Amino acid sequence: MDGKKIKLSLEHISQSYILNNKAFDAVQDVNFDVYDNEFLVILGPGYCGKTVLLNILSGLEAPVEGTVRLDGEVITGSDPRIGMVFQKTSLLPWKTVMENVEVGPKMAGVPKEERRKTAQKYIDMVGLQGFEKSYPSQLSGGMKQRVGIARAYTNSPEILLMDEPFGALDAQTRYAMEEEVQKIWQSEKRTIIFVTNNIEEAVYLGDRIVLLSNRPAHVKAIYDIDLPRPRDTVSEEFLRIRKEISDNTDLAL
Amino acid sequence: MSKKSAEIVLSKSELQERRRKILYRILPVVSVLLLIIAWVVASGGDQSAFPSPMAVYERFLKFLEKPVQKLSLGQHILASLGRVLAALISSWVLGISFGILIGWNKKANALLGPIFTAFRVVPPLAWIPLITIWFGTGEFPKILVVFIGAVMPVVVNTQAGMSNVDQQYLDVGRIFNANKRQLLLDFAIPSALDAIFAGVRTSASAAWMVVLAAEMLGGKSGVGFLITRGMESGDLPLVLLSMICIGVIGAILAIAMQLIERWVCPWTVKKSN
Repeated sequence: MDGKKIKLSLEHISQSYILNNKAFDAVQDVNFDVYDNEFLVILGPGYCGKTVLLNILSGLEAPVEGTVRLDGEVITGSDPRIGMVFQKTSLLPWKTVMENVEVGPKMAGVPKEERRKTAQKYIDMVGLQGFEKSYPSQLSGGMKQRVGIARAYTNSPEILLMDEPFGALDAQTRYAMEEEVQKIWQSEKRTIIFVTNNIEEAVYLGDRIVLLSNRPAHVKAIYDIDLPRPRDTVSEEFLRIRKEISDNTDLAL
Repeated sequence: MSKKSAEIVLSKSELQERRRKILYRILPVVSVLLLIIAWVVASGGDQSAFPSPMAVYERFLKFLEKPVQKLSLGQHILASLGRVLAALISSWVLGISFGILIGWNKKANALLGPIFTAFRVVPPLAWIPLITIWFGTGEFPKILVVFIGAVMPVVVNTQAGMSNVDQQYLDVGRIFNANKRQLLLDFAIPSALDAIFAGVRTSASAAWMVVLAAEMLGGKSGVGFLITRGMESGDLPLVLLSMICIGVIGAILAIAMQLIERWVCPWTVKKSN
């Protein structure tokens, strides 16, 4: 693609585990590039190794083979330039909303006043003003995931990984959150890598969609989605793309 | 038609709910009343073998006028509580630190875990002969015995909490580049506070039980001493009076622990017992 800067590249990434004395391949020779400021969706059937792939990108796991390059340099381990919104929200139940959101800059030793200011900006952005002193147990599922998003943004990463962030939400909240994430992405340009098993969500959000196969995961196809935003989920073109991807997707085991 | 029957169903369930609430309020009162009646009936015969509630109350009034061993009832209770408090605070400080060490650091656990497991199963009262020989019969040996009883549950629970920290919290820490110290202080220890407090609660009741036993074996103050004194002088109303004090103060201690937990961990709103 001309004119687009490559931000992150995955080169020959493979991952396997030993389970009950048997080798178990989760990811096999995955290669793709992620462009600067794009909204990339990784789509794949359930349990295909999507989360494993994200864990490798975030540095939580080291791959058996392959390298990850950020701005052309090989990275290993967790990198402050890469943030993460977790699947299970993973808020810290003993911290208030404010304390959860400011955790990144706090670990980096940013003074309290400064980090609170940044945190407040993103709490406002996700629409949680007034809940700064609430504990996660007092919030709904959608609100918890908003805190997770604000927490990731407050650490000002260049790349944001989102691991099926809306998988546990009801359909209505899910639509609202998808719209919200899209709006935030448009106002705060960052590279987003969004993992999902929901084809509609993928086509609604993605600039490009990387379609993974069943386990062991490898790249089956990459789709460019050129539909204007916000997308109409019942337009002919949307449904055509959705069907095309759906026909090409492996059934979950 | 259907609307009306729905109304009837609702009012019926409301009525049931109200009855149930009244029942739950009455039941505890009923049990206390039954206990007192049973006590009066059972003590109807030989007064010297089983004093009646009235006899115990009279003994209480007499206590107000005439102290035992120059100490009022309140002073005896305070003597016991003082020992418990000294033992508890030192057991929390040392027990939580040691529990964190062997729960978090696998090498420390391999080195010290087995010794601790062997010590843990020795009942605190079994230490009394050795401690008496080493330290005599003063305040310190009593506090030491209580400490041994209180520190074990604190260490066991802290260790369990620290070795079972939910991986997702540590992942959050690693994603946000927490260093080793931050992982321990900001992620692992707070997530284990639930377990640590379970140990603290158990330690309070254990300490209260052990202090009474320690006082029964020697000493000139404390509620445990009062029981021994009552037994030796055939003053059974004093024994019963002391037992009631033990029960009431043990319950107050348990409630105090819950309040401390709510204050330290405001994010967990626990159901009270």
